[in-house]
Amino acid sequence: MKNAMMDKSTEFSSTALRTARKLRSARRIQAGRLKWAGMAGLFASAVVFPLAPGVEGWMASEATLIIMYIMAAQGVSILTGYTGLVTVGHGGFLAVGAYASALMTMHLGTDLLTGIIVGGFVAAVIGCALGLVFLRLSGAFMAIGTLGFAFFIGTVVNNVPIFEGREGISLPGNHVLGYEIGDIGFFYVSLATLAITTLFIYCLVRSAVGRAFMALRDSEKAAEASGVNRVFYRTLAFSMSAAVTGIAGVLFAHYVNYVSSEVFADIWYSVDFLVATVVGGSAVLLGPFVGGLFVAFLPTLIEFFVDQPGDLAFIIKGGALIFVLIMAPAGVVEGTVRFFRWITRIRKETAHG
Amino acid sequence: MFGQQLISGLATGSLYALTAVAVVVVFRNTRTINLAQGDFSMIGAFIAVVLIKDLGANYYLALAGAVVGCIGLGILAERLVMRQIADSDWLTLFTATLGIYYILHGVAGYFWGRDTKAFPISFDPTPIEIVGGIISQGHVINMAWAAAIGLVLYVFFKYTKQGIAMRAVTDDPETAELMGIPVRFIVLLTWGMAGFLAAFAGVLIAPIIYVAPEMMDEVLIKGYVAAVFGGLYSIPGAILGALMIGVCENLAGGYLGSHYKTATAFTMIVLLLALRPQGLFGIQKRREV
Amino acid sequence: MASHLRCEDVTVSFGGVVACDKISLDVELGKIIGLIGPNGAGKTTLFNVLSRFQEYDDGHVYFRDQTIDAKKSHEMIDLGMARTFQNINLFSEQTTLQNILIGAHHLIGNPFANVFWLPNARRNEKVLVNQAIDIAEMLHLGDELDNLVKNLSYGFQKRVELARALAAKPEIILLDEPVAGCNDEETSELKEIIRRVNLELGITILLVEHDMSMVMSVCDYIHVINFGANLAAGTPAQIQSNQNVINAYLGEDDA
Repeated sequence: MKNAMMDKSTEFSSTALRTARKLRSARRIQAGRLKWAGMAGLFASAVVFPLAPGVEGWMASEATLIIMYIMAAQGVSILTGYTGLVTVGHGGFLAVGAYASALMTMHLGTDLLTGIIVGGFVAAVIGCALGLVFLRLSGAFMAIGTLGFAFFIGTVVNNVPIFEGREGISLPGNHVLGYEIGDIGFFYVSLATLAITTLFIYCLVRSAVGRAFMALRDSEKAAEASGVNRVFYRTLAFSMSAAVTGIAGVLFAHYVNYVSSEVFADIWYSVDFLVATVVGGSAVLLGPFVGGLFVAFLPTLIEFFVDQPGDLAFIIKGGALIFVLIMAPAGVVEGTVRFFRWITRIRKETAHG
Repeated sequence: MFGQQLISGLATGSLYALTAVAVVVVFRNTRTINLAQGDFSMIGAFIAVVLIKDLGANYYLALAGAVVGCIGLGILAERLVMRQIADSDWLTLFTATLGIYYILHGVAGYFWGRDTKAFPISFDPTPIEIVGGIISQGHVINMAWAAAIGLVLYVFFKYTKQGIAMRAVTDDPETAELMGIPVRFIVLLTWGMAGFLAAFAGVLIAPIIYVAPEMMDEVLIKGYVAAVFGGLYSIPGAILGALMIGVCENLAGGYLGSHYKTATAFTMIVLLLALRPQGLFGIQKRREV
Repeated sequence: MASHLRCEDVTVSFGGVVACDKISLDVELGKIIGLIGPNGAGKTTLFNVLSRFQEYDDGHVYFRDQTIDAKKSHEMIDLGMARTFQNINLFSEQTTLQNILIGAHHLIGNPFANVFWLPNARRNEKVLVNQAIDIAEMLHLGDELDNLVKNLSYGFQKRVELARALAAKPEIILLDEPVAGCNDEETSELKEIIRRVNLELGITILLVEHDMSMVMSVCDYIHVINFGANLAAGTPAQIQSNQNVINAYLGEDDA
């Protein structure tokens, strides 16, 4: 019975249909190549950025921070954008990754790469556990539950002795495979890691697993009717999402060479990562990039123009956020695309008119 | 000691309940998780402070001023922001209230500074003896206000035309609209009500804690946890949740140490959501297709 | 008369309301079977029971004479049963092609091999994509493959639902009101497609429908239920002349 489809498929393909199919594939490949080129261009410019004239040390540092925010937002996008589960608690995974790597470095003297792998792995395990605990949650309840998770991690980190609470753990200088790396070196390590996570998400979205995530997002019932095992894929989404943000946490810990609960128990990171995802576009590859830039860079930008940032920064942040949501509810990236399409259409119409 | 913790827990819990109820009402009428609810209260507290300090108003006048101000704030939020994105998904609505939160934070810091201040009027600290322990006058007054507001809400929802209309909108907005209920007005009323409740929450709690832009952050979170106890739908559930949180965190603080207080609310919520995802009183939907 | 899908004495109640009262129904291998009944008769509940989307209080469900009482909704595809939804339940933010591909989810092999794009997973993907395109072309959806389904017309969306079910390479498809809300043209197109799917691909079909002329013209055998219980069963001709059935529907008109 199941082979009936295969045998009959040749009947329904005629030459005309095959040509149409080739045209469609060609168009799809072209669009894909454009995206590759764009992304490659972005990374290429990031590579030469620290070496460009006029760029000072602190700028590279700032750029590293932005990279971490982008990566954390990428983690959120896997769960929220592609699987449809809103999380206001990813700061918890940031902390998990950071502390896992910090403890490894302190007690076992491991290097940065090991830290990244271990941090990502531990975060994935905790993410898997959280996914199982919150199996029956969705929507607003999931958001509140994940917020509770972030607070829980914050409390653990504050009170369990091994984490040294507010005192924190000071980390030695970073090294990779035996070589000491300074700020510039760290920037390149972060950039390389970002390239890997971006590639991962790219592959994920185009894979059947990504389709399964999106199916659960769009219609859980239909997804199950199509054979998608909700428990498995939900938990997988949680793990992957946690791992990516966990890795961002590792980078953050080694960036400041210090972990303390004052930093990592702060739930505002969780909110920022979610905002970054929503503003940039939660289900768009470039989304976390734009969103991460928005969240990480906006304060610096405001400081540039206003002497006393503080309160004004809050007002501008809130205003900008509301503005983006009203004008481009699906995110800045999608909004920009729509804007350009609209412009092209207007131009075509005036040309003919 | 236990009785003491219980009573003061109930007192603070009844203040959390004001925020919790506002959260529930806004959510079930508009699908919006209002992160700015706490900041409405905060602005109300600041308004009261200004009225007392700079204009020499007495406590009740200040409270009234705060109520007017917060209702206006709620209406402003609905008109300027929420109405523009009324048809969006709940994540957009939620993030928009975050935007309002940031703005109010910034405004408060800008006008009144970020340092913590004490509320200019404090209650007579001589405690009153009641069964189980002693309770401060302030606590009694707060519980009285909270109970009075609870009664007002009860009457509102059960007997007034607007209250009944609001319940209709909660249950089925489309049918309500078809039946001639002015849904947009009800939404406006909802946000106004959120402001009303916020004013009391802010002014009543300010003497107990302090006045500063971030004063309501923790209360907001506890209000949400309490609201989840009610399945984000049931007002009595939210009130019960708030009282439970007040009591439990006080007990935890008393027996385990004060830095465990906030953690209690979260442990409660994570446990609850893991075991009973729809809250204690949430609507149980049989799995339909 | 081999039985493909069968339920015996299924009872479902919600609170105090009995939706299904000891209903028995047999779907014969290779046929197109109809399930009809006035509004509120319990058709949707029974449909969900058969596709394991609904728990039942009593009775048994058999697939190819094996009991499937313990099966979960996402396991039915592996057995060979696909279903559509009455209110279109497509993945609205995805393209037609993606929607159809998800239908074939149980054929993707190891998910980890898939997510890391290992070579045999990629080869498998290509095969699935080609199959999806074939199904789309069979249902005249070829031009809409890269469009988001939320932008498609209602008739097209109905066909995407069916295409998604076909992508699973099922032995039997349960259609929940496949022509609900369709105009005459869309209805006759879908009717043709259903016939072809059954005759040329050998897929058994169980359909729930309100459109009487459609049901009578396309089904080999029809079950009628009313007030949650079996009322009648027979060929279209038999059902059309069955007095109980006529009364049930006329009674509905009176009320």
